[in-house]
Amino acid sequence: MNSSSLNVLASHPLSSISRPTLKAFHSPKFSSKRIRCMHDSNINLNFGSKQNPKAPNHDFPVSFATAFVEAPLGTTTTPTSADKLHLLASEFRSLTEPIDRVKRLLSYAAALAPLDDSARVPANRVTGCTTQVWLEIKIDEFGRMRFKADSDSEISKGFCSCLIWILDGAKPEEVMGVRGEDLSEMNVGVHGKVRSRVNTWHNVLMSMQKRTRALVGDADVAHRELDRPAPHQHNILFDHVNGRSYMESSKVHRGYSISLLPLGYDFTI
Amino acid sequence: MEGVAMKLPSFKSLAPTAISVASTFSIRRSFSFARPSSSLSATITADSEPVSLGHRARKDFRILHQEVNGSKLVYLDSAATSQKPAAVLEALQNYYEFYNSNVHRGIHYLSAKATDEFELARKKVARFINASDCREIVFTRNATEAINLVAYSWGLSNLKPGDEVILTVAEHHSCIVPWQIVSQKTGAVLKFVTLNEDEVPDIDMLREMISEKTKLVAVHHVSNVLASSLPVEEIVVWAHDVGAKVLVDACQSVPHMVVDVQKLNADFLVASSHKMCGPTGIGFLYGKSDLLLAMPPFLGGGEMISDVFLDHSTYAEPPSRFEAGTPAIGEAIALGAACDYLSDIGMPKIHEYEVELANYLYEKLSSVPDVRIYGPRPSESVRRAALCSFNVEGLHPTDLATFLDQQHGVAIRSGHHCAQPLHRYLGVNASARASLYFYNTKEDVDSFIVALADTVSFFNSFK
Repeated sequence: MNSSSLNVLASHPLSSISRPTLKAFHSPKFSSKRIRCMHDSNINLNFGSKQNPKAPNHDFPVSFATAFVEAPLGTTTTPTSADKLHLLASEFRSLTEPIDRVKRLLSYAAALAPLDDSARVPANRVTGCTTQVWLEIKIDEFGRMRFKADSDSEISKGFCSCLIWILDGAKPEEVMGVRGEDLSEMNVGVHGKVRSRVNTWHNVLMSMQKRTRALVGDADVAHRELDRPAPHQHNILFDHVNGRSYMESSKVHRGYSISLLPLGYDFTI
Repeated sequence: MEGVAMKLPSFKSLAPTAISVASTFSIRRSFSFARPSSSLSATITADSEPVSLGHRARKDFRILHQEVNGSKLVYLDSAATSQKPAAVLEALQNYYEFYNSNVHRGIHYLSAKATDEFELARKKVARFINASDCREIVFTRNATEAINLVAYSWGLSNLKPGDEVILTVAEHHSCIVPWQIVSQKTGAVLKFVTLNEDEVPDIDMLREMISEKTKLVAVHHVSNVLASSLPVEEIVVWAHDVGAKVLVDACQSVPHMVVDVQKLNADFLVASSHKMCGPTGIGFLYGKSDLLLAMPPFLGGGEMISDVFLDHSTYAEPPSRFEAGTPAIGEAIALGAACDYLSDIGMPKIHEYEVELANYLYEKLSSVPDVRIYGPRPSESVRRAALCSFNVEGLHPTDLATFLDQQHGVAIRSGHHCAQPLHRYLGVNASARASLYFYNTKEDVDSFIVALADTVSFFNSFK
């Protein structure tokens, strides 16, 4: 990616929505700091401003966003889902006591953004879970996958919270590229049985991937026009996407030329 | 009985009233033990009271003596599947090690021995439920297959449009889905008895529902969620009055109490081996001879035929008619061994012990705050099975079961227990269930309650 395009991304209104961004993550200049953070078992993932106001005031130590020194403009980069996954897996791996993993999951559960009641419909149910899990999924105007989820089980909510932190805002192929095995560290109470029927997070991940595939389809995205619509058209598009069911939003999506990053968006990464 | 203070080291929490069963226990035969060196007398020392059935029986179940996740295993999921005593495992091993051979048609020695043992197992099962003839026992893969057998074989040839099949909302999926499939094919109508205010199926409603149109009543004997039991003998009388047949799902009753099919006079009865100390992969259907004789085959293939031509075949007599292909020979023999094992202890003894356990479990569980147990309250007239399905306010049963397992080694089940319609009727998505068998003890219940209290306070601390 070239730096001018990244500036575009960094300055886009959407970037103000809290998603943890690991600035300078890939920059070789800061690699030593990165290593330190990977081994620091006190690191907690910052879920930004979407903390549940009812949740107890968990003492989240150093967040990733502030763990790194801000890099000068032009060298910022957004971490991929694979990066986030590895960070999460290593965080859980560092918690040697199972009860600490449960506690961590429960605190992430509290941080999960609430889901509208309107989204708790059968179409959004994740099948195969012994708990009820609802998953709402859409594509934003950048062609990135957006997820929201909820569950009646706190542990399942914790899994959803982690998965959404990893995958919310990811490109479709990043979503498809996550493997269940990578998340086996997060297993709480499901003893390494990645493919077990009761394995909620595995089922949620499968659902995310299946529905991503359905939304993106096998349309040849590379052939879409790359003209960027005017800013006000963004918002109109965003409202359409917000207001409709996912299938409808995908139709709207295809009607507009929405691949707006002038950077040779490569879906074959 | 002497008022001797118990000094057995590991049984700290035994209440004085806990061993009343043992005081009436008379040793008829010794159990078959895994280790020849251990013997029954070793458990009753000169100056102590006899220990409970649970404590004695545990010795036969090696699987119970292990640690999971750093805690002693407390297995409270016997309604899902029971553990198998050493005698049953030995019978299975013996079969494969010494006389494994295909049954029924062989001439040679091994085949004859295998056939004898297989048919002997059939006799043992028949005797276990007091069937009048061993040919009334059809071996199937499990109770689900047995119900499907009746549904496809008897149901398809006897149900007509407008005929009614009566079920309850508390039935296991295996006693709902086959009837749904068959009623779609035949045009029969399914009717469901709901629960009364005691949270048991409404017997008065059932009686009123039975009419001239009723052709079959298919009900559980003991509910795997509510722990209640139905008065099957009376139901059979009402059904037979209108010419209807009765199928009894006895999966949760045959393992735990005396079930006498002649006394019940049921037309069909099904049970699974794996819930009664037998191996998985085998179950049985009991059907009255005249009914089975009139039924067409279910699965076609070898063993169930008489003569095979290219354009047609003639079929064998029951039970062979319904046992297509090579059966689970070793498993059937092991099921016979399970029947022997249980009979040696005595089903009345097992039942008496479990009633005690059931009351203890219910009492202890209801003393935990915010716990809601489903099914009837135990009383003089209402006996619960030794299981409790329950929910804790504000805590998902799956979270509960996960934590119990992870932190305390307590194995319970969470989910809908193959009774989704029942859960929907009760207004919940899922429940947790602790279910006991005669190898559980009151200490197991105590461990469970302590673990439950810990779990509830852990999750409460996050609220």
